[in-house]
Amino acid sequence: MIQFSHGATKQRLFSDLEKGALDVTAKPSRQGVLDAGIDKLSITWKLSSTAKKQANFTTINVNLCYAPVSQVDRPWRRTENELFKDKTCPHKIITRAYNKSSQSFKYTLDRDILTGTYFVHTYAVDAKDYEVAFGQSTNEAKTTNLFSVQAISGRHKSLDIASVCFSVFSVLALLVFFVNGKRKAKLEQSK
Amino acid sequence: MGDSIGDTGSSMHGVSTDKTGKYDLPVDLEDRATVFKLFSFAKPHMRTFHLSWISFSTCFVSTFAAAPLVPIIRENLNLTKQDVGNAGVASVSGSIFSRLVMGAVCDLLGPRYGCAFLVMLSAPTVFSMSFVSGAAGFITVRFMIGFCLATFVSCQYWMSTMFTSKIIGLVNGTAAGWGNMGGGITQLLMPVVYEIIRRCGATAFTAWRIAFFVPGWLHIIMGILVLTLGQDLPGGNRNAVEKKGKVVQDKLGKIMWCAVSNYRTWIFVLLYGYSMGVELSTDNVIAEYFFDRFHLKLHTAGIIAASFGMANFFARPAGGYASDLAAKYFGMRGRLWALWIIQTAGGLFCVWLGRANTLVTAVVAMILFSLGAQAACGATFAIVPFVSRRALGIISGLTGAGGNFGSGLTQLIFFSTSRFTTEQGLTWMGVMIVACTLPVTLCHFPQWGSMFLPPSTVTTEQYYVSEWSEEEKEKNMHLGSLAFAKDAESEGGRRAQSTIIV
Repeated sequence: MIQFSHGATKQRLFSDLEKGALDVTAKPSRQGVLDAGIDKLSITWKLSSTAKKQANFTTINVNLCYAPVSQVDRPWRRTENELFKDKTCPHKIITRAYNKSSQSFKYTLDRDILTGTYFVHTYAVDAKDYEVAFGQSTNEAKTTNLFSVQAISGRHKSLDIASVCFSVFSVLALLVFFVNGKRKAKLEQSK
Repeated sequence: MGDSIGDTGSSMHGVSTDKTGKYDLPVDLEDRATVFKLFSFAKPHMRTFHLSWISFSTCFVSTFAAAPLVPIIRENLNLTKQDVGNAGVASVSGSIFSRLVMGAVCDLLGPRYGCAFLVMLSAPTVFSMSFVSGAAGFITVRFMIGFCLATFVSCQYWMSTMFTSKIIGLVNGTAAGWGNMGGGITQLLMPVVYEIIRRCGATAFTAWRIAFFVPGWLHIIMGILVLTLGQDLPGGNRNAVEKKGKVVQDKLGKIMWCAVSNYRTWIFVLLYGYSMGVELSTDNVIAEYFFDRFHLKLHTAGIIAASFGMANFFARPAGGYASDLAAKYFGMRGRLWALWIIQTAGGLFCVWLGRANTLVTAVVAMILFSLGAQAACGATFAIVPFVSRRALGIISGLTGAGGNFGSGLTQLIFFSTSRFTTEQGLTWMGVMIVACTLPVTLCHFPQWGSMFLPPSTVTTEQYYVSEWSEEEKEKNMHLGSLAFAKDAESEGGRRAQSTIIV
């Protein structure tokens, strides 16, 4: 039996939500590892035939979430049952009002998406903004239909050049002072 | 350290006999200041103090600059918890070796060049953060930056050429404490610099790289200041000072044996690993801990983490002072008890920190833990100068290296694996502190006693002169130790003070 979410925000649990209420697909624009800021995803979602709670659906939140392989050894991306603690889904893709018919959205991957393996997840929320049900583009074990994204590196040629310049300056300045000091000492000793 | 020793064991290639220049402060026979005038910048003594602690502090800033930015860096470089932990271990491991070498460098080139060389040659390592693109690069760069923590040795060495041995405890404690503060300053500085750069339009992953330029520039600025404003000895630079008077050449091998064969050396190496060592470890993990566990903003986590390192401002000198106070009434036994009490208390507060579930209790526990650990550092170096006179430099270097080793070890065991959560790691680290502080009960000075045993009939003079062989005594190489022993008699406590000949 699926229970409604409680009133208290802190106790809303993932396990209380209706599973598979929405059928979600996410198709990358090309094969292989996608580039953040450049490549696109074609996302579609519609009400599943097995859904029961659709009367309460007001809005659909579509998110980008980490696959388990990207969560290993990274406790700051942990999946938690308590919804407010859950850190599985770092990116909001889009929010749309609930519509019975099939919806789609062409999403260009944001520039600040991190390197990792992802799937698309949707939450159906009610009028009070509480999650009621969800659907995801992968199976329950989160092993199918995953895609990988490569983030921007943050490195710039100008930065590299500045870095080298200052480093060289530091070493040269030291050498100049040292040689100068030795020269002065020789002069003093010869006096 | 100490290839040629003068009266006090500091390397002096000749003493300036030029008495025409008047110093701002009263000085002893070797032109070392006998008072400590904190807010003066007069050359050479106080100026050296300020140059010294600020360069040491700069090295702490750059070594721990990555720590408050880890939540951003770990995403940019796709790091796992192990990678972050290993980088932390790497950041303190490099200086285990460099601290040992720095003593010899100070001897060969003088503390001014020793400090300047290290600070300016490590500037490129700080700038090279802009090239890092993965875990391997990150760990390597943090390892290389960590070498500059050897400025601890040049700092303490430089102080001992400028300040007389009676006040050297307070001077060294203040210089080291204020230097260690850099570990706290960086937790405030780096997030602020990062934020400013972001607001100027850079993306997150570029901003943190640019932020590293700030510690890099500090290295260059301090290096140049040390070279232009600093001098090796009160009388002038090593090059320019004439070699007058008898210079006693001691052998490096003999001094090393003296240091290594004294079991007390190893007790303090272990203890310092669990006072300074845990302080360094905490510098590396605390900001990320508050960010992750209590869901704070990066900026807020940085402020809290900063207060841990900043407590050094008074905690370390206070520890040295507490030790001096205990010695006044109870002699060396008082110093040992003070150290045990302070360090154990720090360990217990660390346990509490790991178990704290609310933000307020965690902050309170952290502050008390910082006071305990840092005061213990000050109290340790209030005892170390008495372990040996002949090998003071090497023992200081070994103890300092022990601090870094302890830090690397605790980070490796508790904070680099998935076995413990960070809060569990902190709790177990606290337990380890309490356990590893127990060996101080075994430290026995035959002339002064230990925590539980009274002194035997060996005199202070006998203890220090026993470090020299008969033939060395015939060459009068032990005179410095004799002079030191006289000074050190006050470590016998109140009952011994009446025997001091003024």
